[in-house]
Amino acid sequence: MDILTSYSFLVVALGTVILAAAAGIIGSVSVLKGQSLIGDAVGHATFPGVVLAFMLTGVMETSILIIGAVSLGIIAFLLINMMTERSKISLDSALAIVLSGFFGLGMALKSYIQGNPNFNGTQGIDDFIFGQAAYILKSDVYLISLISVISLILFLIFYQQIKIYVFDPVYARTIGINVKLINVLILIMTILLIAAGLKSVGAVLIVNILIAPAVIGMLWSNKFSSVLAVAACAGALSAFSGTYISTALTGIATGPAIILSLSICVIISMLAAPKGIVLKKYRMKKLGESL
Amino acid sequence: MTEIAVSVKNLTVAYNNAPVIQNLNVDIKKGSRTAIVGPNGAGKSTLIKTIMKLIKPVAGQSFIGGSEAKSALKTVAYVPQKGEVNWDFPATVFDVVLMGRYVHKGLFKRPNQTDKNIALSALDTMKMTAYKDHQISELSGGQRQRVFLARAIAHNASIYIMDEPLQGIDITTEALIIKTMKQLQSEGKTFLVVHHNLTTVPEYFNDVILLNKEIITSGPVADVWTEGNINAAYQEKGDKEWTS
Repeated sequence: MDILTSYSFLVVALGTVILAAAAGIIGSVSVLKGQSLIGDAVGHATFPGVVLAFMLTGVMETSILIIGAVSLGIIAFLLINMMTERSKISLDSALAIVLSGFFGLGMALKSYIQGNPNFNGTQGIDDFIFGQAAYILKSDVYLISLISVISLILFLIFYQQIKIYVFDPVYARTIGINVKLINVLILIMTILLIAAGLKSVGAVLIVNILIAPAVIGMLWSNKFSSVLAVAACAGALSAFSGTYISTALTGIATGPAIILSLSICVIISMLAAPKGIVLKKYRMKKLGESL
Repeated sequence: MTEIAVSVKNLTVAYNNAPVIQNLNVDIKKGSRTAIVGPNGAGKSTLIKTIMKLIKPVAGQSFIGGSEAKSALKTVAYVPQKGEVNWDFPATVFDVVLMGRYVHKGLFKRPNQTDKNIALSALDTMKMTAYKDHQISELSGGQRQRVFLARAIAHNASIYIMDEPLQGIDITTEALIIKTMKQLQSEGKTFLVVHHNLTTVPEYFNDVILLNKEIITSGPVADVWTEGNINAAYQEKGDKEWTS
């Protein structure tokens, strides 16, 4: 019980909860557009950005490392687009190549600097792979909150446009919605949230907080706004319990703990949600009996 | 002189260097029900997508109510082919129809009660009120088409541009769509419709554009809907495609 009242735990939990709620909402756009794995590739690609930013500046300051993460995330995204548009490489191959290529680069750079006497204080880099909320500072929480709140405000402003665009992109264009702007906005919000979440969730698992909440939301509701609300709640709840688990049990990284909580929510929803397996079977059975 | 709702001048559109439509010149009269008819690959969808500014022409211009500006498109409701939307999207029938009101709202205004009433009345026109809370993915092809037409009605446009709205739907929906079209025409609306069934052209439309990469002929059905003209459109490229 001590943990729940501990100030430092509450600060960290606040950060992960805000992040996961925002990621649940913004991530639902990628899920509905069938682009979940682009987030995975971009997430992994941010890791070499973190290492490069550290190598260039020599400081382990989250705000600086995030700039590196965002830059490489954008490069990875553009590369995926270029590969699929200009060559005959299919999207899934391009994603696999970019994901492993960039992450491999990050791991190689990490090994290089960690054995190199020219670089000091490199231990913190490991936290960006699987996430370690225990080392999150108050300044990190400010940054996460800032990015999350900006993303949510942008999402709210463009809510109607995003909704129409995701459902019917052709109609969106004919009624004068700037589809390019919406695409860029969603991309920037996604990459910023990925970068903000790296230290607590880690590059390997970050995609999950963008995807799983939306999947849960879609199992519970047929209405876009309710899907978003459920996604935000599922993300927030899992982030809180994940952060708690990783604080209570030393040795469990925060990223895996949050993702485990989310996965449990996904399983429960798949079984028990209105659109889940159990109720579907029950409805079918009732239908069969009534005939 | 009759007013012109849509007009294209010297329009040429190409994909990968091969022209799909070439040097088209045609006017669509205000308050008409105009069909675009022609064989597969004639450029029918390309023509309306170019008018909707979804495709950039290689040469020529298209005008809506005399204006070349993109903003003029706000007076047009476009009903796309069915395959172009995301059917997994979590939206009810009512949500989709309400989207038709967005064009009058802009960035910061949410739909109000008036918008909701307009959407409800559009649903009523298309006899879809009973389905208003249904998820769109649960609907049949004909019902989906009714929802799209209801959205176009909620848009309250003066011009309706539709891409094969009668493709693969039931007879009741087809009759309802035609009835609604005639009703809206009597209120001064214009229809430009890609149509594939040659036998129903005289019954459903009063003007027709026969297209096969270029305009074969265009004008009132009574004048230009002749076997000679139809054959000229369909046989020229050895591509006869009569549907019964």
